[in-house]
Amino acid sequence: MRLWAGLSLLCIVLLSALSADLVGAWLGLDAATPDLFARYAEPSAAHPLGTDDLGRDVAMRLLHGARVSLAVGLAAAAIGAVLGTAAGVLAAWRGGWADAVLMRLADALLALPALPLLIILSALDPAPIGLPRGEAAADILRVAVILAIFGWVGVARLARAAAMSVLAMDFIRAARALGVPEGRLLRRHVLPALMGPVGVATALSVGGAILAESALSFLGLGIAPPASSWGNMLAGAQEAVFQAPLVALWPGLAILLTVLGCNLVADGLRR
Amino acid sequence: MRAPILAFATLLAATPAMAQQRETLTIGITQYPSTLHPNIENMAAKSYVLGFARRPLTAYAPDWSLVCLQCETLPTIENGLAVRETTPDGRPGLRLTYRLREGLRWGDGTPMTAEDLLFAWQAGRDESTGFGAAEFYRSAYEMRVIDPRTIEMRLDKVTFDFASMGDFQPLPAHLERAVWQADPRNYRTRTLYDTAPTNPGLWSGPYRVSAVQPGSGITLVRNDAWSGQAPAFREIRVRTVENTTALEAQLLSGQLDMIAGELGLPVEQAAALERRARGRFRVEYRPGLIYEHVDTNLDNPILADRRVRQALMYSLDRARIVAQLFDGRQTVANSNVNPLDQMADPAVRQYPYDLARATALLEEAGWRPGPDGIRRNEAGQRLTLDLMTTAGNRSREQVQQVMAAMWRQAGIEARIRNEPPRVFFAETLSRRRHQGLAMYAWISAPESVPRSSLHSDEIPTAARNFSGQNYPGFRNAEMDRLLEQLPITLSPEARRPLWSRLQAIYAEELPSLPLYFRQDAHVWPQWLDGVRPTGHLNPSSLWAEEWRAR
Amino acid sequence: MSIPARLVQILVTLLALSCVFYLLLGLMPGDPIDLALTLDPRLTPADVERLRALHGLDRPLWARYLAWAGAVLRGDFGYSRLFAQPVFALVGPALWSSLQLLGAALGLAVLVGVGLGMLAALRPRLSPLVQGLAAIAQAMPGFWLGILLIILFAVTLGMLPAGGVAEAGEPGWRFLVLPVATLGFGHMAAYARHALSAMRGAMTDPWIRSARARGASEGRIALAHALPNAAVPLITLLGLDAGALVSGAVITETLFARPGMGKLIFDAVMGNDYNLALVALLLVAGVTMLGNLAADLAQRALDPRLA
Repeated sequence: MRLWAGLSLLCIVLLSALSADLVGAWLGLDAATPDLFARYAEPSAAHPLGTDDLGRDVAMRLLHGARVSLAVGLAAAAIGAVLGTAAGVLAAWRGGWADAVLMRLADALLALPALPLLIILSALDPAPIGLPRGEAAADILRVAVILAIFGWVGVARLARAAAMSVLAMDFIRAARALGVPEGRLLRRHVLPALMGPVGVATALSVGGAILAESALSFLGLGIAPPASSWGNMLAGAQEAVFQAPLVALWPGLAILLTVLGCNLVADGLRR
Repeated sequence: MRAPILAFATLLAATPAMAQQRETLTIGITQYPSTLHPNIENMAAKSYVLGFARRPLTAYAPDWSLVCLQCETLPTIENGLAVRETTPDGRPGLRLTYRLREGLRWGDGTPMTAEDLLFAWQAGRDESTGFGAAEFYRSAYEMRVIDPRTIEMRLDKVTFDFASMGDFQPLPAHLERAVWQADPRNYRTRTLYDTAPTNPGLWSGPYRVSAVQPGSGITLVRNDAWSGQAPAFREIRVRTVENTTALEAQLLSGQLDMIAGELGLPVEQAAALERRARGRFRVEYRPGLIYEHVDTNLDNPILADRRVRQALMYSLDRARIVAQLFDGRQTVANSNVNPLDQMADPAVRQYPYDLARATALLEEAGWRPGPDGIRRNEAGQRLTLDLMTTAGNRSREQVQQVMAAMWRQAGIEARIRNEPPRVFFAETLSRRRHQGLAMYAWISAPESVPRSSLHSDEIPTAARNFSGQNYPGFRNAEMDRLLEQLPITLSPEARRPLWSRLQAIYAEELPSLPLYFRQDAHVWPQWLDGVRPTGHLNPSSLWAEEWRAR
Repeated sequence: MSIPARLVQILVTLLALSCVFYLLLGLMPGDPIDLALTLDPRLTPADVERLRALHGLDRPLWARYLAWAGAVLRGDFGYSRLFAQPVFALVGPALWSSLQLLGAALGLAVLVGVGLGMLAALRPRLSPLVQGLAAIAQAMPGFWLGILLIILFAVTLGMLPAGGVAEAGEPGWRFLVLPVATLGFGHMAAYARHALSAMRGAMTDPWIRSARARGASEGRIALAHALPNAAVPLITLLGLDAGALVSGAVITETLFARPGMGKLIFDAVMGNDYNLALVALLLVAGVTMLGNLAADLAQRALDPRLA
């Protein structure tokens, strides 16, 4: 039930993100063109959710923001899932010092307060390592990588536990005795068993990354304008919140529903 | 169910102290001063707070004229307190005499004397003390105490604003000299201004610092040793709230009485507040000397063409930006000189919004419309420019997006690439790494000569330690001559044509695209009188003894 | 691991972290003098050189780190450029203020969360409601909730201050209500869910069933028998939550203009104040790790199987 509720929420968000251009063409609206004569317009037929501080259509910006926010969430979660699975499997398979080092690192990262470190990492200058500054795609990647630095830990712990239980099973020992190569063992038997726990952790971290992006945006370190993400829309709207509270309501709701969707999916998978 | 909630509400609402409100004044600002020492570091929040608690020798008044605060008479050539002379190494120099007002005392009752001025000069002249700009201390090569209230100083150059002493002011020698002498190199961390800021002897204004909460607030109380007009409030609390939404919320909930215009709400937020809370507050807008502009990079071949720079100006509807985004509360700039400055030339070339002329200029420069609406030159290069500003500055980011949209109408593509202020100022601008256009602001004193931003010697390079603020890389021989001539021309009437010429070159050549001069929005409670906003570097708090509760 | 071994581990981690932090801070673009340059057009090349040398910025990063580490070993934590105070004098009050906020928020989250979880376990009809509330609490962006609370309670109703700290003589608790609610709400969710599932599990224990058969009341069973059993996983959660709470404090303290470690770290990082940022970060990391250790110890005390 939860899985379906969550999946349908996420499907709606995903569809609206994908349909942003179509909807824009159909309604004759776009998210980028400012209209200084229609700042903070009330919701109307022309602008279903009103307009923002520059007279841009809030609904269109929400749809385009969905792309950026989902991209950040999915990219961060994907990087985290790959890193985490690799670390978890390595720790379980090699054991010994590899296990000790990786898990101590994971413990340390888990114990640290993430946001202060994210602030430092966001304040670093991406230019020396060849990333352009201030471009939307590079910005998404930057935020996603920074979030994944903390995101892999949860995945790694679950993946390690699952991999350990598989590796301890009799049929693995039997296969090893028969001389099945280790790579094939891991691919055939261990990785499939990880799908469940990794899926749960990934679903949770998509939501977590979207929330973290909004927090970074609030501090001025998230996705930079003019690209719209829900986080920076919310951060921008909060500056005029007494004047136009509704503008701050929508992106907040969008984040709430999407994160809720992710958490429901994770919950559903867990059962 | 209703009753208990109401009871709870009254319980919570009962506490705010309304009765004693007029005894205290709580002011919100958006920045916290990093140090309270008058000469170390230079930031607006410090000037504002110190305005209550000490006075510089001279300052620009709210009417932008130079006045004596601690001295008796401004030296001029005519009154004989300034005398032209030749320095020992043969350059033209000046001898100035300043006499402290009678009856000045530090907060602990110690009389303020010429010795305090001498100490400030000695500390500043010592390289290791770590005062920020040492230009004045290098130039003032000699200082002598004539009598307990009088000093005489010699400057190794002659400038028209010689009487303005800037940051130079008496420091309490009876407290600070020993600290400084013990270890000049560490004076900036040992000074009583930061280790014991509530020591009354440090302060000489109508108020003195009584409590410091790092990062959040400074409390001042009436200074009994103040000999001027008696201030009206027993206590002034300056509170720092960086987030302007939170600042406004605290004002609306009654925690703050006023928001200082020097470091307060952006005009558009203040205008919206005025409309919504009509009658609760008075909002006064003071046009100021903060000059918002867009620096070009003249090494970029596209921008090196003057016609392109002019086309950028003609295709920008600045009047509409000001009207729609700022409620009309900014002054459209025609050059780098504020129209309120006495040296402003009203006849300077103006750039009204004129898309046709912009188009004509671009065509003439060889930029023809391309298939995607962006112009291209003969070689097929697209007319694309980077447009940078400080990320996180909401108002600039808004303007920037509108500007990009307006330029697109003229077939110019502006790619927005913003950076956090620390990167933008410290790395990009100061090392001239901006490829195209860079939007930011200057703040200046009235009639200050823009030498550091326009003289060709002031182009930042590695060889000069990247000092200098000529970020566009502007080289113009006539401009260089004007910038050298202006400071040493003492008669205002002789300076006027030079200023006119400077503005004419600026407006014609456009090393930077002028946008507008900012206005400060001062938000006051209805019962407060007597605050005189200045609009320049010297804050209104320098005249805080005139503030009255109605 | 024994307690001394854990303490040594924490110390080693802190040492490694100090190195990493210093490197990262050093990699941040722009130094204090660059910033001063843009603030003050009168600074000349000579001034820049003089100030760089005075602040020790002309030396390479590793040399600066060694000098800093040496000074710290001598008990000198350096000087904050941003607040012109010795770092140590700044960090103490900020930590105290943050601990008040975090303690109250955690208390609120645990009390309300566990209360709701138990309620849902005992009254299954209410369970969907509690789970829904928990799901929303978990998905809510913290600063958004804070803004909504400010609009409602501070601006519209005028019941509570919108932020800041109490002036002398004012009751300090009024300034804590909204930040604590903002921070506590998001964290409540996890406790509610864990309490719910732990209680459900505990309530089916044979031991509980026998208590019920003896005729003990439901409320008594829940408090006296099921809750202690459910407490062990909750304490694990408590330990893990410490880091997240500190992160939340950065947002909450910024939004409510409340001085504390979170805001101090943010200001220090953004203001290029290496000394302050470093000490504050290490302190926060140390306190979080000690919190973890305390949670582990409490867990062992409660659950003999782990000892």
